[in-house]
Amino acid sequence: MMLRWSWAAPRLALAPAVVVTLIGFVGSIAWTIYQSFTQSRRFPEYKIDSARWLSQYERLFANETWWTALQNLLILAIGSALAIVFGFILAALIEREKFGEGLFRTVLLYPLAVSLIVTGLVWRWMFNPSLGIEAFLRGHGFENASFNWLAAPQTAMYGIILASIWHGLGFYMALMLAGLKSINTEIWSAARLDGVGVGRLYIEIIIPMMRFTFLTCAILLSLGVVKAYDIVVAMTNGGPGTSTWTPAYFAINAYSTRSNIGFASAAAVIMLLITLAIFLPLVAATAWQARRREAARG
Amino acid sequence: MTAISEVPAQPGRAAILIPRRRRRIKGSSIAIFAFLTMVSLFVAIPLYVVIVTSFKPIGEITLGQIFDLPVHWTIQPWMKAWNELCTGLACDGIKQGFFNSVMILFPSLVLSIAISSITGYALALWNVRWADGFLFVLFICAFVPFQIIMIPLIIVVASLGIFGTVWAIALVHAVLSMPLLTLIFRNFYKDIPRELINAAIMDSGSFWKIFWEIVLPMSGNIMVVVLILMITTVWNDYLVGLTFGGISTKPMTVILANSVITSRGEAIYNVNMAAALLTAVPPLVVYFALGRFFVQGITSGAIKG
Repeated sequence: MMLRWSWAAPRLALAPAVVVTLIGFVGSIAWTIYQSFTQSRRFPEYKIDSARWLSQYERLFANETWWTALQNLLILAIGSALAIVFGFILAALIEREKFGEGLFRTVLLYPLAVSLIVTGLVWRWMFNPSLGIEAFLRGHGFENASFNWLAAPQTAMYGIILASIWHGLGFYMALMLAGLKSINTEIWSAARLDGVGVGRLYIEIIIPMMRFTFLTCAILLSLGVVKAYDIVVAMTNGGPGTSTWTPAYFAINAYSTRSNIGFASAAAVIMLLITLAIFLPLVAATAWQARRREAARG
Repeated sequence: MTAISEVPAQPGRAAILIPRRRRRIKGSSIAIFAFLTMVSLFVAIPLYVVIVTSFKPIGEITLGQIFDLPVHWTIQPWMKAWNELCTGLACDGIKQGFFNSVMILFPSLVLSIAISSITGYALALWNVRWADGFLFVLFICAFVPFQIIMIPLIIVVASLGIFGTVWAIALVHAVLSMPLLTLIFRNFYKDIPRELINAAIMDSGSFWKIFWEIVLPMSGNIMVVVLILMITTVWNDYLVGLTFGGISTKPMTVILANSVITSRGEAIYNVNMAAALLTAVPPLVVYFALGRFFVQGITSGAIKG
């Protein structure tokens, strides 16, 4: 009797999580994928017209704003990657000097506790042309200073990138710091004994050793970029015009403003495909690392 | 588990020990220090600007000196932000949003932590044959974009009859965070020594008894980490609150965004900045009070799995 109970209890305890996963994730994803092949508008329809089952995708990729959104996704990913680069440099410097490590870490990390809405709002205030940094610079002798990035379609994305870097810098620094600290300290003294220069030590030894950390950072950054919605709403609300739309913004807009479930679903499915494309390397790398750890243990 | 309890001792000790060694200060050290200080300023200045702006009368703001301290300090903007901030036609301040956020936060914390700690425990310590497959599914679920499940979740929540209430928002938060939290709990629990659990199973054998009497009392560290992760996630969320909230149940971030960003009226910058600060204060307090757990929380949320 006892044995049977111990068989049943864990499975019973797992039931809520399984139900949540099946309904909230697996079922919901399947539903959205299905809807992307239908002609659903305000209300879901379940009939798939075999002649035009791809019509939502055709409309999506014929849509100029969708291409803008995809392009912005790429710009945002490349631009925010600076956060990883700077995060590594900062971590390396903090790790080297150790002086004031706690203070620098506290200062660099606090933006992460601030919501992206507040972040966007704060930076919007800094970018304000008549009262913000531009006005300050012009008032101090730089008559041609231009910091009104958010007002022009060509530069608005750079404003969003700057705010994203500000928000994420500390996070990548913390990940890099954790990676650096896991490196065996003997390497440092060995390198010093061999007379290896600091620059070469980092480029030829430390960075290759930390490739898994770099990969993790890159993947997390990309996943975050695919989800970029709050920061866009807070800084530009998609504007000027549609110049700062992202796929995430596009999908929400297709549902809430255009009330078009089929169209929104198609955009969401493309988002999912992008996420999976980013995600597969992480799965592979995790498996690879686990195998290496097994090998090291055995 | 030992790794976790060892970590805290390091940073403080390093900071104290090094000056005492009295080594010669090198030029490169000064350069590094200057660089770090500059980056820190870049990160710190926006907060400084927002704080000083929120204490300035509107007349001083129009001078365009955003880096200056207020000449006449005033807490008027804070009072206005709390009591009179307008969203659309209603001018009830951001306080309603604050209370909504609190009402959303607590049920979502209880729900998500209860379900994911038990699930993590069952998957880590009990022999469930499909555990690995399920963990892999959870791993994927933890990273899918919200948009792909948003519309069906709206339909499910509406059919439960709670759409537009704080319960709906709390429930969706619990659902969304379940995969990641489960992975975090599972990774923590699987390091509990097997002998301990085997002995406990021999002793009582009860799934719930072992959870309550052995596993839960060992979970202090991980609970704090998860709490911090959840508090910041839920409090800072915008999209879920926007999608599932009703007119009077929107969380603080949504009210802030609606009143400051999407409103078309004349902007009252000092009140807006005070409202932004009021929204940011709770997670910032958590951050400054529990800094080292915070770092652990976000990094364990990020890389484990």
